[in-house]
Formats: sequence, structure tokens, C-alpha cells
Amino acid sequence: MTKVKEKIGRAVFAVSAGICILAVVAIFVFLLAKSAPAFAKIGVFNFVFGDTWLPSSSDSYNAPLSGEYGVFTMIVGTLATTVGALAFGGVLGYFTAVFLVFFCPNGLKKVLSSAIGVLAGIPSVVYGFFGVQFLLPILALFAPNNGAGLLATSLVLGLMILPTVVSLSKTSLESVPRAYYEGAVAMGATHTQAVFKTVVPAARSGIVASLVLGVGRALGETMAVVMIAGNSATYPSGLFGSFRVLTANIVLEMGYAGEVQEGALVATGVVLLVFVLLVNILFSLLSARAVKRAVKKTKNKKSRPRVGMRIRDFFGNLAYRMKSSSIGKGTAIFSGTFTALTLVCIVGFVLIKGLPHVTPHFLFGKFVFGSENITIFTSIVTTLMAIALSLAVAVPLGVMTAIFLHEYTAKENLFVRIVRGAIDILGGVPSIVYGLFGLITFVRLFGGTSSILAGGLTVSVMLLPTIVRSTEESLRAVSDSLREGSYALGAGKLRTVFKIVLPSALGGILSAIVLAMGRVVSESAPFLYTAGSVIWAMPTSYADNGATLAVAMYRLAGEGWHTNEAYATAVVLVGIVLILNLLAGFVAKKLQKKWNGEKR
Amino acid sequence: MKEKKEEIFGQDIRVKNANLWYGDFHALKGVSMEIPARAVTAFIGPSGCGKSTFLKCFNRMNDLVSGCKITGEFRIGETDIYDKTTDINALRKSVGMVFQKPNPFPMSVYDNIAYGPRTFGIRKRAELDEIVESSLRASATWEELKDRLHDSATGLSGGQQQRLCIARALAVQPKIILMDEPTSALDPISTGKIEELCEELKKDTTIVVVTHNMQQATRISDKTGFFLLGELVEYGDTEEIFSSPKDERTERYITGRFG
Repeated sequence: MTKVKEKIGRAVFAVSAGICILAVVAIFVFLLAKSAPAFAKIGVFNFVFGDTWLPSSSDSYNAPLSGEYGVFTMIVGTLATTVGALAFGGVLGYFTAVFLVFFCPNGLKKVLSSAIGVLAGIPSVVYGFFGVQFLLPILALFAPNNGAGLLATSLVLGLMILPTVVSLSKTSLESVPRAYYEGAVAMGATHTQAVFKTVVPAARSGIVASLVLGVGRALGETMAVVMIAGNSATYPSGLFGSFRVLTANIVLEMGYAGEVQEGALVATGVVLLVFVLLVNILFSLLSARAVKRAVKKTKNKKSRPRVGMRIRDFFGNLAYRMKSSSIGKGTAIFSGTFTALTLVCIVGFVLIKGLPHVTPHFLFGKFVFGSENITIFTSIVTTLMAIALSLAVAVPLGVMTAIFLHEYTAKENLFVRIVRGAIDILGGVPSIVYGLFGLITFVRLFGGTSSILAGGLTVSVMLLPTIVRSTEESLRAVSDSLREGSYALGAGKLRTVFKIVLPSALGGILSAIVLAMGRVVSESAPFLYTAGSVIWAMPTSYADNGATLAVAMYRLAGEGWHTNEAYATAVVLVGIVLILNLLAGFVAKKLQKKWNGEKR
Repeated sequence: MKEKKEEIFGQDIRVKNANLWYGDFHALKGVSMEIPARAVTAFIGPSGCGKSTFLKCFNRMNDLVSGCKITGEFRIGETDIYDKTTDINALRKSVGMVFQKPNPFPMSVYDNIAYGPRTFGIRKRAELDEIVESSLRASATWEELKDRLHDSATGLSGGQQQRLCIARALAVQPKIILMDEPTSALDPISTGKIEELCEELKKDTTIVVVTHNMQQATRISDKTGFFLLGELVEYGDTEEIFSSPKDERTERYITGRFG
């Protein structure tokens, strides 16, 4: 009886893990199937290296092409803005991390760390809108093209990758053994020297990995770039020329694409995906090496010089090259302050401009079609519906997959490795590619029109990797001695998992779920063509379409004559993100306390 | 399956030619031993000698270690515990275990003790109440904890936690209790309490205890086995082992010349 139950349990967990693999396979199969005819018609070389993009919506696969489909300008644009973002956000993030770990007063450290968490949660559309309303007017004072272009995009994207870089660099700096620092100080080094010449070099691999992950983010970012790049399909010319990135191409034209054009847009997604996957492979190689190096260091002092060392040396010893560590210290303090001020600036700007327009009517009033009296109640309802659906799908699947990975597999067999690989790939897929995937699968499946159902399902696939990873992390934090205690009392695997392990991991899992909610609220690219962008009709069922808050904000900001409402929506979005962030921390702490006992 | 559950009656443990590998590492080499019922048997030896590994064979906790391979014959009473038809969960119910580090579950004192009985289907409140009280009494913790039954177990002191873990093991009425260095994380006073408890418990249970502390072995055990590098070097009455060891290595160990 119990044996049968155990077997069923195991099977259910394994099936969940299998679904993760299926999701990855489905994404690749659908994207390739949809883009293959376009690649064949246009020619892979012409598509990738052609620099003219003049699509014609009347082009079809059984007639000669009248438009031109080359995305090379956008590849260049994407790479240029990524490099720009890295130069700004990467360096700023690196020094901010150093500041946080070594030069920051303790009280401030907590505040600033969680503030950077908030920065990570702020929706892409809000960044874009901030760029349009705050950054562009300033740049326009001395630059052509209203200030739009490479510089503005790089600055905004840099801010967006900042949290990734900071949090990962911070972790790797903090995991450097304290003894390194003490050893340096004991030999007469100052605090600053010890930090920059001993601790930072030891954390190099982790820092470089964080920069690579930031690059992955920058490559896949969509909405903010769309709002400030200018979007003409040309090479970026200087700092202020209008240009287009790969992600923007998809968002801008997917709504009205003809047959070949649509294939070409999916093909754009494939090119983007290839770039992102390459970056992710690089990331996992680097972090694997970081682990290896850490192990090796204790075993064997001698290490061969590698090509990668030179890149690492550049960042690790940036301060060293400035001849003096005190410049490094100054830069770190400056960066930390700058990051904090930027955060205050973004949130403050949005609040000051938007708060007066957040009225009860705006939030909960009825939207009369054709009226200029805009309300976002329908979007609030749509967002809640999307959250409910995507969590209902992603949470059980993700948690069960994590249980399978962590509790049921003692050894890394082939299936487990494939599941882990699938999760890693899912985690790297840019949100616009999820949007594309949802459009050509769920939307088509449900009759060809966008619906909250299709949008919710699309986003649930996107949430899977986050939920699996954070659940696994929480499971890992549960001490093995508790599992042993349960087994030693004759409890089976299922009982041990459900009565001992899961309750102990609950805090971590719940806070991951809360953060996933934040993700649903702030994402717009995957919803735009799957759930739709209607803000005037109240959805009555999941078959209806609707704009989530972030999509509504994109629409309002883009149309140009509802700027106040866009500000107000931004306030609502930032408010929700703030609340969810606080809630996640609170939930984790509260439950942890409950399970660890009051005294301790 | 059903009839198997009730089969583990005996209390004496008989092991013939036990070998155990962790991957390539040969951790137990041809160990044979008979452990008498209703007595305290101590395993001593330096770290890594295989004594804990051997202990964990009796409730098949080694099954949880991947790459672990076991050969030889392990019998409790007449039951071959490594037989394919043996119900592992029922085995672990009859063979309780107390760990080196107290590992109370992060729940109340009451729920900790009720965890085992609930696992085996006891749901009635009155019945559980009784089990909780008798288990706590048996582990000499009732007076201290009777007013804190619904407090979190992780808030207790280390010694209380360990006695709670003993109570938790007793709650499913095991025939045998395995203790893996049960006092190594405790202060002398708590250690004394647990040693007294062993004296009390051996009236109806078989106790096997792994210890690093030779004084402890002499204080509480009737039989002692000395392990070295995966072999059982010497096994006999505790008094004899400590007063006139037959093997030179045993003598050197108990006189503190290595280990």
C-alpha cells in the first residue's frame, strides 16, 4: 500500500520534471518550424548578414519576395547597446558591490541591498518611460535626435543590468574566505589594499560571471529599449542616432506581420536566442570554473595562465591599474552613492509625477469606451487573473520538479542532467521569445485570438525556472539530519518530504512565489501579443483578452497623450513591486522564525 | 507485505561476515558479531574506523547513501534484515536511532514525539497524548517538558533536545535503539542524564551505542567492540576488554596511545 503510494509519488514528481524538458523542446520545435521556411526563402546568410530590412506584408512563401529581410543592422545595434550597457552598468555594478561589501556602514548596507532588489523588480516599461521622460530631455539639451539613441539606451539598460551584477558580485565577494583578508591585513596592508589586492582578485571568476549574466539580460531586454532607441532599422550612428535592436524588431512588427514577415520575425527570435544561449553557456562555464578554482586553490597553488585570465585581470585589477587602491576606494564609494541616488531618483521622479493622478476613479472607476477619462481597473483585474493562472500552473510544476531534482535523485543520471539543462535554458530565454512562443502555440491553439488564458500559460512557462531554482535552494537549506531523523522513525519518502522537508522550506518557497507574482506584474513583452492590449473592456473570462498593468502602461506611454495616466500606472506598478518585495522578505523571515523556534 | 511487518520480534542481532563499500572505499571488512538482547553494547575506535557505518547497517540507513554496497548476513532475531521482502519502514520502526547531533524536527515537542506514531496510523488524540507522556517519562524529560509540550522543540537546550530525540525514538516502541555518539555534542551534566537513561532503558530494549569516549563505554556498556580500519579487532565483555585486552592494538587504543 505505502509502496504503491511511494511509486505514484515518485512518478508524479518525475512527470513534472519531464514537463520542463517538454517546454524547452516545444519552444525550440515551434520556433524552428515557424522560422525554417523564412530562413529557406530568404537564405540564412542574407537574413543574418543582410543590412536592409524592408519587409512587405504581402510577401508569401509561394511567390517571389518583394521586401528585403536582413537583420544585420539590428545585430550590430544589439551588440553595441549591450557593450554600452556593460560599460556603464557593469562597471557601476562591480564597484557598487565592492562598496556594499567592504566600505558601506552596516545599517546602510541592509537598506541599500534591499533597494537594489527593488531596482531589479521595477518593470521594464517603467525604466523605458523614465528614460523617455527624464533622461531624453536632459540629453536633448546638448544632443540631436531628441537625445534618443545608443547613449540613452546604454544608460537605461546599464541601470537594468545593475541589480544582476551587484547581487552576484556581492555573493562572490562575500564567499571569499575571511582568512585572505586577515592574511593581507596581518602583513600590514590597509583595509583598501587588502580589499582590492587580495579579496577582489580571489572573487574574480564570480564577478566576471555576474557581468556575463548581465550581458544576457541586456541582450534579451525589450520594452525599455523599444521606448528609447528610435527604432529605425539602421546601424547605430554615433551616440545619438536612431537604431533598432533584435528584440524591438519582434515587438514592433509582430502585430501586423504578413506571412514571410512573421517567419522572419520568428527567425529574429531564433538569432536572439542563439546569442543568449551562447552567453549562458559562457556563464555556466565561468561559474563552473569559479567553483573549480576555489577548490583547486586550497589544493594546489600553481595554476596555468589562461586567456580568460586577461579579461578577469582587467576587472579584478581595475583599481590596481589606476596605480592606487585609494582611487578604487573612491570609485567604490562614488558608485554606491550613485546607485542609491539613481534609485531614489527613479522612484522619486515617478512618484512625484504620478502620485497626484492616482485617484480612486483612476484605479477603480469604469472605463467608458471612447472617453478620455482613463481608468486602469480592467488592467488590475486582468493582472490578477494572469497572476492566478500562471502561478496555478507554474508553482505546482516547479515545486514538484524541484522536489524530484533534490529529494529523489541521489545521483546525477542522464535524465536529471537533461532536466537541469532544460531549466538552465528556460532561465536564459528572453521574455520576448516567450511572447513569440506563446503567440505561435497557445494563441493559435485557442482560436487565433489573444486571451488571458494564452498569456497566463505563456508566462507560467517563463516562471518555471525561477520557481524550480529557488525551491531547490530552499530544499538544499533543509538539514539532512532532519531527513535522517524522519527515515529513522520508519517514515517513507513521501511523508518525509511533505511533513518535514517542505514545511521547513516553506519560507523560501513562499517568498519565491511572491517574487514570481512580481515578475508577472512587471513583464510586458510576453503578454503583449498573447493576452492582448485592450484596456477598455472588462474581461469576463479567461477567453477574453486584456492588457496587464505593464502592457497598459506601455500603451499609455506610447500614445503620447495620456502621459499623466502613464505616470500614475507607473506609480501603481512600482508600488506593487515594492510591496511584494517587502512581503517576500517578511514571509521568509516570519516562517523561518516559526520553524526555528522563537528562542535562538 | 503485511505479515512481514510483525515479524521483527527478536532483539539479539547476529551479523556474519559483513562487508561494506562506499564506492571503491572498503569501509567494513568481514565483520561478524553477536549483540545480546537487553544489554548495552558499545562500539569504540578512532574516527573513520567504521563503527558508525556498522551501526547504520542495523536500520539500513546506509541505503540512503548512494554508491553504498553491503554484503554479508544481518539478522535480528530470525529476520534477515537485508532480505528483499523486508519492509524497511517497519524495520526502522523496530530499530530506533538517536543521532550524534540532536535533530528535533522544527515543530512542537508534542508533534515531534507524535511524528512516529502518526506515521504508523495512530490518529486518536487520547492515544497520542498517552504515548507522548509515556515516551517523555521514559526519557526522563516529562517533568521538565510537560508544560512546554506545545513550544517549538528547537528552542530547547541541547541536552533536552537529545532526550526529546530519544523520547521520539521510544514513541514507536522499538526493540532496539541505536545511538550514534549521542552525547558528543552535550555538556557533562546532560551526558550524565543520558547515560542514566541507558541503564534504565536496557531493561526492555537492546541498546547499541557508538562512542568516542572510553570512560563512557566503561560506565554504561556490558559489551564492547573495538573497531580499527574497518575491522572488528576485538569484542567481548566490557570489563575484560578494558582490563585485559587480548589484542595489542586494543591495548594501545584504550591506553590512549593513538586515536
